[in-house]
Amino acid sequence: MTATALTPRALARQRRRRALAAFWNAFRRDREGVIGLVLLLVCVAVAVMAPLFVDADELSVTRASGPPLVGPSGAYPLGTDDDGRSVLTMVVWGSRTSLLVGLTATAISMVIGTVVGVAAGHFRGRPGGLLDRVTDFFLVVPFLPLAIVLATVLRDRWPDLPKVLAVIVVIGITSWPVTARLVRAQALAVEGRPYLERAKALGAGNWHQITRHVLPNVMPVVFANTTLSVSIAILAETTLSFLGLGDPLNPSWGTLLDGAYSAGAVSRGAWWWAVFPGLAVAVTVLGFNLCGRAVERVLDPRLRGRV
Amino acid sequence: MSPSGRLTDQSARPRRRLAAVAALAVAALTALALPSGPAAAEDSPSPSVSGSGSGGASAVPEHGRSTFVLGVKQDIDSFNPYMGVVATAYEVYQLVYDYLTGSSASDFSAVPNLAESWETSPDGKVWTYHIRQGVKWSDGQPLTAKDVAYSFQRAKDGEQENAQYAAYVDQISKIEATDANTVVMTTEEPSPSMLRLLVPIVPEHIWRDVPSKKVKEYANDNKPVGSGPFTLTEVKSGQYYRFAANKSYWAGAPKIDELIIRVFTNDEAMANALKKGEIDMLNDVTYGVLESLQNQPGITTSSSKYSGFSEIAYNLGAETIEGKKIGNGNPALTDKQVRLAIDYAIDRKTLLEKVLRGHGSEGSGVIPPIYPNWHWNPGGGARGFDLAKANSTLDAAGYVKGADGIRAKGGTRLELRLFGRDNSEESKKAVEYVRDWLGQIGIKVNVQIMSEDNLTEVIGKGEYDMFQWGWVVEPDPDFQLSVFTCDQRSYTDAGEVAAGWSDSFYCNPAFDALYKKQKTLLDPGQRAEVIKQAQQMLYDDVVYSTIWYYDNPEAYRSDRFTGLQRQPTDGGSFVFQYGTYSYRSVEPVAEKPKDEGTGLGLVLGVAGGVVGAAAVAVLVVALRRRSTADDRE
Amino acid sequence: MAIPAVASASETAEVAAAGRRISRAGGGRWVLRKLFGAALTLAFVLVFNFVLFRLMPGDPAKAFLRGRAANPERLIQLRQQLGLGEPLPVQFWRYAMATVSGNLGDSWSMGNRPVTELIAERLWPTVLLSGTSVVLAALIGMWLGARAGWRHGRAFDKLTSGAAIGLYSLPEWWFGLLLLLLFGSTTGLALFPSGGMTDPRGGLNPAVDALYHLVLPCATLTLVYIAEYSLVMRSSVLDERYADYLTTARAKGLRDDQVLSRHALPNALLPTLTLFFMSLGYVVSGAITVETVFSWPGLGYLSYEALSGPDIPLLQGLFLVFSASVILLNLVADLIYPFIDPRVRLA
Repeated sequence: MTATALTPRALARQRRRRALAAFWNAFRRDREGVIGLVLLLVCVAVAVMAPLFVDADELSVTRASGPPLVGPSGAYPLGTDDDGRSVLTMVVWGSRTSLLVGLTATAISMVIGTVVGVAAGHFRGRPGGLLDRVTDFFLVVPFLPLAIVLATVLRDRWPDLPKVLAVIVVIGITSWPVTARLVRAQALAVEGRPYLERAKALGAGNWHQITRHVLPNVMPVVFANTTLSVSIAILAETTLSFLGLGDPLNPSWGTLLDGAYSAGAVSRGAWWWAVFPGLAVAVTVLGFNLCGRAVERVLDPRLRGRV
Repeated sequence: MSPSGRLTDQSARPRRRLAAVAALAVAALTALALPSGPAAAEDSPSPSVSGSGSGGASAVPEHGRSTFVLGVKQDIDSFNPYMGVVATAYEVYQLVYDYLTGSSASDFSAVPNLAESWETSPDGKVWTYHIRQGVKWSDGQPLTAKDVAYSFQRAKDGEQENAQYAAYVDQISKIEATDANTVVMTTEEPSPSMLRLLVPIVPEHIWRDVPSKKVKEYANDNKPVGSGPFTLTEVKSGQYYRFAANKSYWAGAPKIDELIIRVFTNDEAMANALKKGEIDMLNDVTYGVLESLQNQPGITTSSSKYSGFSEIAYNLGAETIEGKKIGNGNPALTDKQVRLAIDYAIDRKTLLEKVLRGHGSEGSGVIPPIYPNWHWNPGGGARGFDLAKANSTLDAAGYVKGADGIRAKGGTRLELRLFGRDNSEESKKAVEYVRDWLGQIGIKVNVQIMSEDNLTEVIGKGEYDMFQWGWVVEPDPDFQLSVFTCDQRSYTDAGEVAAGWSDSFYCNPAFDALYKKQKTLLDPGQRAEVIKQAQQMLYDDVVYSTIWYYDNPEAYRSDRFTGLQRQPTDGGSFVFQYGTYSYRSVEPVAEKPKDEGTGLGLVLGVAGGVVGAAAVAVLVVALRRRSTADDRE
Repeated sequence: MAIPAVASASETAEVAAAGRRISRAGGGRWVLRKLFGAALTLAFVLVFNFVLFRLMPGDPAKAFLRGRAANPERLIQLRQQLGLGEPLPVQFWRYAMATVSGNLGDSWSMGNRPVTELIAERLWPTVLLSGTSVVLAALIGMWLGARAGWRHGRAFDKLTSGAAIGLYSLPEWWFGLLLLLLFGSTTGLALFPSGGMTDPRGGLNPAVDALYHLVLPCATLTLVYIAEYSLVMRSSVLDERYADYLTTARAKGLRDDQVLSRHALPNALLPTLTLFFMSLGYVVSGAITVETVFSWPGLGYLSYEALSGPDIPLLQGLFLVFSASVILLNLVADLIYPFIDPRVRLA
C-alpha cells in the first residue's frame, strides 16, 4: 500500500482527493447546502452527545418525576407528557433512534441499490433483464402499502426480532430501487467508455471491472442520493410508528408523536407534546433535503447556480 | 316472579378476552329488561308493532326530531348476529333484536324480557318459558314461541351459529315450542345459566331462507327485521349507522326518534366532535382525554364502574390436556414461591394511580366488584406491596443472586419474558413498572410488545413466561371460572397444539371440583359461597396477579340530553350495558339550545375561505405588478 | 407518498427519455412491450402477495377462526376449504384464478364480508380526496413552479422554493394533525369538522356537507403535494430558461411573458405532466395516514383498520389494488406520453 507516488492506485487516490476538494469548494458556496449541513451537524451532535446531558432513566415512565402535562416552562423547556416525562428529554433521546433508523435503513438501501444497479448495468442480457424487472416491481409498488405489509409479516412471523430492526429492514428493502435505477443508468454510461473497453481487452475480470472502474464512477450519484434517502427514511419511520408498526421500546420521534397522538394530546390542549417532536423531524429532514439538493447541484453542472 | 335472577348461567361468549382499551364495553350482552325491574314486567303493555312504516326510507331526519349521536372507535364488523365479533356489533344486536330474558339495570339480576315468566321443574332440568303475546316483528309479522325455538335450535345446529353461541346452548338437549306462547327446554344437568341465554331471537320467516351454509355471506344490513327498540335504517360503512326508534316497542317507545352510531379512528377527532356538538356521547377514550372533557361547558363525564379486570398472568408449566409438555416457559414459574414473590413486588396502588390515573380499583378476585354477589376479595388478608418480603420469599425458596445480580437456583435463572399488548397504552406502561419492580428483587424481565393476535398464538403454544392482559366478565361468573379448569388447557389435534381458553395452564382438581359444583347449584346463596372459594383458591395459588378493575370512560352532552340510565344503578355504565336502558330512556332536555356548531362553523368556514382566496388574489396581483416592474428594468 | 415523490424527480426524466427512445423503435411493438411489461409486473405482485401470505405465522385456518374455540373437525374442514393441504403450485394457481375472477377472499375482521366488496365501498371517498388533492396540487404547483423558475432568484422564487422544501420535509399526518388543531378543534378555530365525510345529523345538502368535510384533509394533501410539483416545474422551467432557443425568441423581440407562455412553458410542462400521470396511480394509496387522522372513510382508513389484528386477506387485497392501480395508470401514462410530447411525435 505504501507504494511510491507513481503507482496507479496512488494516482487515483490523489485524483480523488482533488475531486473531493473541488466538491467541497463548490458545496461551500451553496448557501442552501450550508444551512442544511449546519442543521444536520446540530442534529447529529445532539444525538451523539445525548447521554452526556440526558439521563436515559428519565425516559422510563416508572422514573418520571415531573408533573404531568405542563406546558413549556423553565424546568421543562418543552413541557411534559402525561406521565410527567420531559418532552425535551424524549426529543433529544429520540433523535438517536430516528437517526439510527434513517442512516442504517439508507445504508441497506444503498448497498442493495448499488449492487443491483451495477449488476443490472454490467451484466446485460437475461440476468440484467431479470434485475430490471425486480427493480421495476419494487419501484412501481406504492411504498407505504408495501412497507405496511412487510412490517406486518416481520412483526408476526418473527416476534423476537427487535422492532426497531424490523423497521430498519422494512425501510431499507422498500427504498432501494430508486438508487438501483440511478446507479444502473450511470453504470450503463460508464460501460460504454473507452477505458472500460481497454480494461476488458486487457483481460480484466468482472470483479476488477466493477470495483475499479464502474463503482468509483457510480459513487457520486449514490452519495447524492443517500442524503435524500435519509430524509425519506426518517419520514417513513414516523409514518410506520404512527400506524402502530414502530418500536415502543426504543423511543424515537415517530413513537413519541404516535404516543402523543394516541393519548389525544391535541384535544387535551397539550400542543407541545405533539408539536415539538414533529418540529424535530421537520428540521432534520429539512437539513437532509437541503444538503441532498446542494450535493445534486454540485455534482450536476447543469444544475449549478440554481439555488 | 319466581326466580328473580339470582340464578346464574353458563356463559361463554367467544372472544371474551378483550383489550382494556379496545373493549371497554363488551361482548356479552343480555337482553333488555324492564327499566323498573321484574315487578313492572307484569303490567307493561304488550303493544303491537305496526311494522310497515318503521324502518322508513328517509335518511335525513326532518327538523324537530330528536337524534342522539354516539361516537365509537370500533367499526361494526357485521350486522349478522352470527358473524360479528366486536363490542359495537353486540350493542347493535341488542338494539335490533330481543332476548329471552334480560339483566336488570339496578344489579344485573335476571328479569323478564320476551319471556314474561318461566318455571323450572323440581329437578331443575326442564325449563318452561312463557313468551310475551302481541309482540310483532318490524315487518308486521307476529313474534311467537316458534321464532324463539327456531333461534335456539339454529344456535345449536348451525356450524357458524354454534361457534358464536355455543356457550349458551350446548347444555340444552331439547328445544320445543309447545304452543304459540310457550317454549320448553330440557337440559342434561340442573343449570343456573338458563336465565342468561344471550341468544338473539331472530324471525324464522326471514332466516329460514338463509341456510347455515350461506350464513357467512348474509350481511343482514338492509333494514333487517327485528323486534328490538330500534331498527337499522342506514348503513355507511366506516362512517355511521342510523337507527329509527321502534315507536311501538312492547316495553315502551324510546324517547328519541333516531339513534346514530358514528365511527371515529381516534380519540382526538372523537373528543373534538363532542366538544363541538357533532356527537352527543362518546366512550372508549383514554382516561387523559376523559379528564380533559371534565370542565367543558355542556359536557358531563363519567368514570363508570365496569366489569373488566386486568392481570399479570403466569405460565404455570404449559402442558396439554393429554399431558404433553409444550412451549418454553421458565420452569421457575411453576414454583408457587416465585409467583408469590413476584406478586409481593407488584405495587397495585402505584399502577392504579399512575397507569389508570385512578380510574378503577385495585384488583384481587377474578370476578369484579361490580358483581357484589359473586366478587371475592381478601380483605385484610391481602398481599400488599412488600419488596423485602418478596426478596425473603425468594431467599427462602433457594434462589440466590449471582454476580450479575440475577437470582438463580440450580440451572434455573430468574430471567423472564413479559409480554405487553401494542394496542394498549396501559399495557405498555404496566409492564414497564413490573419490569422495574422485579429488577429490584433480582429477577430480570425482558419486555416484548406484541399484537393481541400474536399473543393469543404464543399463549396457546405455551411460549411465554408472563404477560399482561385482561378479561371482561359477564353477569354470570361461570365462564370466567371455567377459564382456569384443566379442560381449558391446550390440546393436541391431529398432531398440532390447539388452544383452549386457559392462559395460565392452571390445573387443580380441587378447583375443578368447585367449578363443577357451582355449575349445578340453583340456589344463588350456596352458589356464591362456592364461587368465592374458587376465587380464593386462585388468589392463594397466584394463578394470576389481578392488578386492577378498570372504569369505563364516558362523556355526554348534558346540555342537550338527559335521562341516561346507569347499569348497575350505583355508578355503572351508561352505554354498552347488558340491555338497552339508556337508549330507551335518553331524551332531549326541555330547552334545546340552538344547534349552532355546524351552522356557525360553516359560515365562518366559507367566510374564511373567501378571505383566504381574496388574500391570495391580492398577493398574486401585487407580485405580478412587481415582477412586471422588474422586467421593465 | 414520500418515496415515489422523490423518485419521480429523477424518474420523470428517465421515463421521458425511455418513451422517446422506444417510440422510435416502432409504435406497435412498443405498445405490446409496454403491455407485456405491465402484465409481468402485475404477475410479480400476485406472486409476492401469495408468498407473503404463506409467510404469516401459525395456521391460517386457526387465524381464520380468530380465537373462537374451534373443534378439531371444524379445523380440518377449514384447512381443506382453504386448500392448505395441497402443494404450493396448486395453491398458487387457485389463488391466482380467484384473484383474476375478482374474488379477493373474505375479510377476517369485517364479519367475513368479501374483500372486493369492502374495497369497492371505500374506493370513491379515496378517489374524491386524493384525486381532488392531486389535481389541485398539480395546478397550483405548476403555476407556482413556473413563476418561481421564471423569476429565478427573486423574492417570489425564494419564498415558494423555501416553503416547498419546508412542506416537503413534514410528516404529512403530523401536518394534518396541526391543521386539525388549528382549524378543526376547539383548541384553535373550530371552522371545519373534526373528521368524517358527512355529518349524519344532517341539515346540509349531502354534497355541500361532503365538500365541507373535505376541506381540511384535502388542504393537507394538497399542500404536501404542491411542494413536489412546484419543485419539478421550477427546475424544468429553469432548464428551458437558459436554453439557447429562448435567447433567440427574446432576440426576436418577444415580451418576456410571451417567451414564457409560447416557448418555455410547453416544453417545461412535460416532466410535470409525467409526474402528474404517474402520481395518479398513487391516488388510491396516497392518503393512508391523512385519511386516518381525519377519519375519512376511504381505502387508507380501511388499511389502518386492517392493520389491527391484522386482517390478512384485507391487507392482501388492498395491497393488490394499490399496486395494480399504480401499474395500470403508469401504463396509461406511458401510452399517452407520445401524444403529449411533441418531440416524440416528431420522431
